[in-house]
Amino acid sequence: MSTEMVRAEDVHKSFGPLEVLRGIDLVVNSGEVCCVLGPSGSGKSTFLRCVNHLEKINAGKIFVDGDLIGYHERGGKLHEMKNSEVSRQRRAIGMVFQRFNLFPHMTVLQNVMEAPCRVKKENKLEVRDRAAALLDRVGLGDKVDSYPGQLSGGQQQRVAIARALAMRPKLMLFDEPTSALDPELVGEVLDVMKDLARDGMTMVVVTHEIGFAREVGDQVVFMDGGVVVEQGPPAEILGNPKHDRTKAFLSKVL
Amino acid sequence: MSDQTQTGRVRPEPIKAVPVRHPGRWLAIAVLAVLTAMFLHLILTNDQFRWSFIFSSYEPGKRGVMFTGPVLDGLRGTLLLTVTSMLIGVVFGVVLAIMRLSDNWILRGVAFVYIWFFRAVPRLVLAVLFGNLNILWARIGFGLPFDQQIGRLFGIDDLNAQFYSIKASDLLVGFVAGMLALGLSEAAYMAEIVRAGIQSIDPGQGEAATALGLSRAQVLRRVVLPQAMRVIVPPTGNEVIAMVKDTSLVAFVPVAGELFFQLNAIKSRTFVVLPVLVAAVIWYLIICTVLMIAQFFVERHFSRGYGVTGRARLRLRDIQIEQGGRPTADGSAAT
Repeated sequence: MSTEMVRAEDVHKSFGPLEVLRGIDLVVNSGEVCCVLGPSGSGKSTFLRCVNHLEKINAGKIFVDGDLIGYHERGGKLHEMKNSEVSRQRRAIGMVFQRFNLFPHMTVLQNVMEAPCRVKKENKLEVRDRAAALLDRVGLGDKVDSYPGQLSGGQQQRVAIARALAMRPKLMLFDEPTSALDPELVGEVLDVMKDLARDGMTMVVVTHEIGFAREVGDQVVFMDGGVVVEQGPPAEILGNPKHDRTKAFLSKVL
Repeated sequence: MSDQTQTGRVRPEPIKAVPVRHPGRWLAIAVLAVLTAMFLHLILTNDQFRWSFIFSSYEPGKRGVMFTGPVLDGLRGTLLLTVTSMLIGVVFGVVLAIMRLSDNWILRGVAFVYIWFFRAVPRLVLAVLFGNLNILWARIGFGLPFDQQIGRLFGIDDLNAQFYSIKASDLLVGFVAGMLALGLSEAAYMAEIVRAGIQSIDPGQGEAATALGLSRAQVLRRVVLPQAMRVIVPPTGNEVIAMVKDTSLVAFVPVAGELFFQLNAIKSRTFVVLPVLVAAVIWYLIICTVLMIAQFFVERHFSRGYGVTGRARLRLRDIQIEQGGRPTADGSAAT
């Protein structure tokens, strides 16, 4: 059952002279929810963006469902993938952003239908039904014809989740999905994510919601300064942290 | 609703205050009114305008100078020249804008040099220059580049590897030369407008589309450009209107089939100066009025999902619901 969905091996990433990731090793099994915690600037978001190749890594390897991301390995040599091949890999990886990034010129329904119709060239009517069902599932069945600008932040983020799910991804990446929300709207987004986790979706969640990590996470990873400081089951990391840096961080956010 | 609020307190009397007076505004309005009256008096009573010459009695058959054959032909030429050179400008402008935003420094550099050149040279100079460019070549054709040089390399004199060619003095003259001069110049300005539009879009939009698996072309065509259009359309409207007027520069190519050239010819022939110029003014006013109306609708189309109107309507509906009022027809009032 527990096949590896994400495998990161010694991942390094620099922006110019700034070394953001300094050797990340991580395995997320299929069906698992992995919550990544850490202070800002610790490289959590960058790592997440490396998983679907929005950022090119400088060293190491990332595999998603057994496929090396961004490169072909032929005869011991790495070849950069063409854009179209990277796009094909990204189809299986859904991503949700801190600032939603819905397309403001399209209605909610069009936002959800865009990728299946344009990328996978699926039948429009089928996609329409599926998109409506997904929006129903995130509790926005009555907002299909609204534009994103007419929705609250929480509603927009739920649309963003539905938009990612419409591609039937194997893996979902969440980049601080509740950080840009008013406190009273955080709950509705977390509820959708919990529902998703119960259905067995493999998820990597960068978050500051310790409660969510404790309740839903199968694995908690604490990052600082571009390295994984500590990782393990939530009860262990959150309840009984071993490293001083983890303790210091948790004492501030809890 | 009643005067009674929910807390049971009586709503106080609405404020009835004496509004602030604005004597300065009234003075300005009075001055403008006098000036307007003077202007109307001028154009209605001064015989030199010769309105009948403009509208009804220049030619037998009750045609004014505005509606004579050559002037209407010139009008058609002006419109055709505006449309074709703007098409060239927009198409090349988008290509140049994308080149300027490329990761490749050579593409970026070429676009930069193009824009530098065509923005630096005045359109009037370009018009004259393009009218005389045919001095450079005998024939202009489509085929193997450098065919003569390659032929000489292999000892063949005068190798001709052109599939199709045309005499340069037939092609690069008159309308085509004017169209190229205006169109290629316009491309430089449009490139900057499109670049500004593309750069005004939040990079998160491109990232979200990329993460969904859209190709780079799809990201640009489906996500970035439609949003950039909001920023691109208003200055492009400016450019179109400027182009209508700049078409009068092609008289120096020279091109005869153009509005102002034709009216100017009538002026020289009849020695009736002012009414002919007024006729030209009226035609340009009409064209620009139509274009401004068109721009209004184009802008409205590309502002879908933006602006206060949608949000304001939503807020209004929420307020109505709060007050126990009627939910709107689309049934989305339940939440």
